[in-house]
Amino acid sequence: MQLVVFLLKRLGWMLITVWVVFTLSFFLMRAIPGGPLNGERVLSESVRAQLEQRYNLDDPLFVQYATHLWNTICFDFGPSYKLQDFTVNEVLAQGFPVSAALGIFGMTFALLLGMTAGVVSAVHRTSIYDFSFMLLATLGIAIPSFVLASMAIVLFVFYFQLFPAAGWGELRQIVLPAMCLGAPFAGYIARLTRTGMLEILSNDYIRTAYAKGLSTRTVILRHALRGSILPVVSYLGPACAGILTGSLVLEKIFAIPGMGSHFIEAALQRDFTLGMGALLTYTILLYVMNTLVDLSYSIIDPRVVLE
Amino acid sequence: MVRKFSPLLILLILLGAVVWAVSMGTLPRADFVFNNGAEIKTMDPSQATGSPEGRVINALFEGLLRSIPAGEPDALGRIPMKPVARGMADRFTVSADGTVYSFHIREDARWTNGDPVTATDFAWSWMRFLHPETASEYNYQLFYVRGAEKFNAVQLAVGDKVEVELADRKTLELFPRGTIRRGILRELILPLPAENTADTDNEETDAAVVAAISGKAIFVVEFQNESGNTPVTETIAYAVSADGSLAGIDELKQTYTGDFQLSDIQPCKHVLYDFNEVGIRVLSPQDLEVTLNNATAFFPELVSFYPLHPVHRGCVEQYGARRFTKAEHIVTNGPFRLKERRIRDRIRLMKNEQYWNAAKVELESIDVMSIQSETTSLNMYLTDQLDWDTTPPNAMLHILKKRDDFVSTPFLASYFYRVNTSKPPLNHPLVRRALNLAIDKRSIVDNVVKGGQTPAYSFVPPGMNGYQGYQGSGSNVKLARQLLAEAGYPNGKGLPQIEILYNTADSHRDIAEVIQQDWKINLGINVVLRNLEWGSYLDALQTGDYMVARSGWIGDYPDPNTFLDMFVTGGPNNQTNWGNVKYDYNIKMAKSEADPAARMQLFVEAETILMEAQVIMPIYFYVSKNMVQPHIQGFHANLQDIHPLHLIKIRRAGSAVNDSISEDTN
Repeated sequence: MQLVVFLLKRLGWMLITVWVVFTLSFFLMRAIPGGPLNGERVLSESVRAQLEQRYNLDDPLFVQYATHLWNTICFDFGPSYKLQDFTVNEVLAQGFPVSAALGIFGMTFALLLGMTAGVVSAVHRTSIYDFSFMLLATLGIAIPSFVLASMAIVLFVFYFQLFPAAGWGELRQIVLPAMCLGAPFAGYIARLTRTGMLEILSNDYIRTAYAKGLSTRTVILRHALRGSILPVVSYLGPACAGILTGSLVLEKIFAIPGMGSHFIEAALQRDFTLGMGALLTYTILLYVMNTLVDLSYSIIDPRVVLE
Repeated sequence: MVRKFSPLLILLILLGAVVWAVSMGTLPRADFVFNNGAEIKTMDPSQATGSPEGRVINALFEGLLRSIPAGEPDALGRIPMKPVARGMADRFTVSADGTVYSFHIREDARWTNGDPVTATDFAWSWMRFLHPETASEYNYQLFYVRGAEKFNAVQLAVGDKVEVELADRKTLELFPRGTIRRGILRELILPLPAENTADTDNEETDAAVVAAISGKAIFVVEFQNESGNTPVTETIAYAVSADGSLAGIDELKQTYTGDFQLSDIQPCKHVLYDFNEVGIRVLSPQDLEVTLNNATAFFPELVSFYPLHPVHRGCVEQYGARRFTKAEHIVTNGPFRLKERRIRDRIRLMKNEQYWNAAKVELESIDVMSIQSETTSLNMYLTDQLDWDTTPPNAMLHILKKRDDFVSTPFLASYFYRVNTSKPPLNHPLVRRALNLAIDKRSIVDNVVKGGQTPAYSFVPPGMNGYQGYQGSGSNVKLARQLLAEAGYPNGKGLPQIEILYNTADSHRDIAEVIQQDWKINLGINVVLRNLEWGSYLDALQTGDYMVARSGWIGDYPDPNTFLDMFVTGGPNNQTNWGNVKYDYNIKMAKSEADPAARMQLFVEAETILMEAQVIMPIYFYVSKNMVQPHIQGFHANLQDIHPLHLIKIRRAGSAVNDSISEDTN
């Protein structure tokens, strides 16, 4: 019951947030210079008038706002101005799975690498492993993803020729962008895991486990790990948000046709409808992620009360 | 419980998600992969502009004529692109006075759905192309056809034959159209022009168009109905209305003082000049006759230009304007057909077995990539992911141009600075000339752009057939100083600061910085740079919110007109607030001048006027830049940088070499 109330409340707030984002961006988009009908070749008067009529750009602003808002409520973002063969819904339907797949791979990479590195570092504390993993983790967090991407391309595309330079369509093409996307999060996760692990390893029950004659492997994997990844789980929410926004740049560098590419192009080309569609999708997504994080807190720590 | 298993649960979800992401379809590489640069706006020929769109539409569709390399190589060894009857038409004739073109469409021309391509397809497609509601940006390309401009711009006069589209259109889509009735316009009631409207031809036309769109005019049309043997005359008043309401014309009704009863005005979608009167006539399924206003030497070029490619009527009418271009719906007539389109990723084209010349098309599949980043595109080319890179980055040109696979040649494009002639001190012609003379263009070409471009001292690039052009002089600092002094600013004293506008890009900034230095050192002028991202930059140009602005122009066809008609007074692409009566006159006369030499002379005079007024400062003429893998054949540098995909062949080492581009005529 408490959960249902919590979710309903969150839904209400989400709708308000979406409406505020919609309104602000609707007017901001139209306040900046330029519009969807501007091109390098200037349209003749009559062509411009016809196109304005076709896209309802000749209506007064508040009428446009009302129409657009109503259509948005009906989940119809309208036609894309600059991808005339598609509606915004179609563009998002093609772009979202691509970004999602990239994000999932990035996240999986970050978790696998980060947790392994964190556990190894904690177990072999102050060893050369610990030192080098933590150095790498710091570097991963500090280096911006586009620099990392450039280095990865030089190294793995041109020097070792292991992976294709860019593109989307084969599994091999996902590896480099996913690695670059996941690297900073792997760094965070490694440090979180290490800290958590160290704390757990100093507990009495771990000593007991050793005393019972269990192997180090069993102690670490069965007894210590479970307790030490709780901070990591709670970090997944913010990490998802970070992965979403982080992919904007990487999608460009690796020519990946995801949400980020559409969003950036829409902004540059003044494709109002597509920009709005992408923006609202991001808003909803981030909101849902944050809600999930709050939910997961209460699952991990029963003392947290949902409200 | 939940707490205990939540880590496990999350791992499971992740695993599931990875499996899902992996299972998404993969697409192996096509035979031929190239980067098209930007994502195309549309595949609808009537809506498209720009060279990326052109490459795709030329592969999917085919016009009456096809531009292919034909004829003798020029001084640079380039075979010129010529529009020849190697498209849907297998022959065409021109009347002695050059105004009537008769095209014969080949018998084996087929759409991808098996339907024959007929003259009716062209007449209908061109009607759609010219229809005002289609709002085709390139529609002026057909204005050389008799009556076409009248149809498009709704230039109606009493007594004209008209077609009325009744307001019974079923969908909001542009096509199919509603019921068409043809009659004669008996009375045209227009709102009184606003008092400040200048009385020129152009503005009158625009006013009529806007009035027709916004439903502010009343059209009285007389129809001849054949009922039995006695013709019955019926007269109906119409007002154009998008939504069926006639609120816009109430005021007009009040002020009307003529004899016609205006009590029963009917709403309609359009009142247009009768398309049957336009000089596009279907003589038989195979024969199309086009009548022009005047002899137009480059009309074959226009006929081969992609906006004039035909579309399949049934397909457009069934699916409507946006959906007919979907891979599962589209019906095309070109050498390739559309297999799949992934937005901002690739367009997969497959060979069209129905194509009349399919036996000569070697590529089975093509991937048209839209990779925005030039560096990414070059990386992909260097690792063999691309066979043809159309966008090598400018910063790399000085290295790339030494490679054998860099294919480059001068082409029809100018890089220049526009001057806003209404902003002081730039309203002074001597100041503009001084600024131009103070720029060291040779140094910009050699030290900044470094891609083999040539410095420009005129606007129209060299290489136009039979056009000698204006011969400008190089930089001359001494003369520049002298002119500036004559204009009243000796050594730049008293001259306000000048601002250079460019769209954000390193290559534009580098050039602007050199010019800033040139003006500062040579003339003592204070120059500031202002960069704007593309959308804002276009807006600044259009609203005249600039002093000097970086610009570029790519010619649509090899004729000076494609450059020079840009700067007619009030032209939408003029954007300099400059106008000259003699210039306008020359451009207008050149449209109807039949004698090629006299026509070119008109253009030379016009360019001279433009250059002496120094409305623009030419900087350099572009070169085309293409990276093409050595195993690709049938790719030839040319003046227009057009490379027909259906002529491309793959010849890997070891296989027989055949570099012949001449096709035998079936």
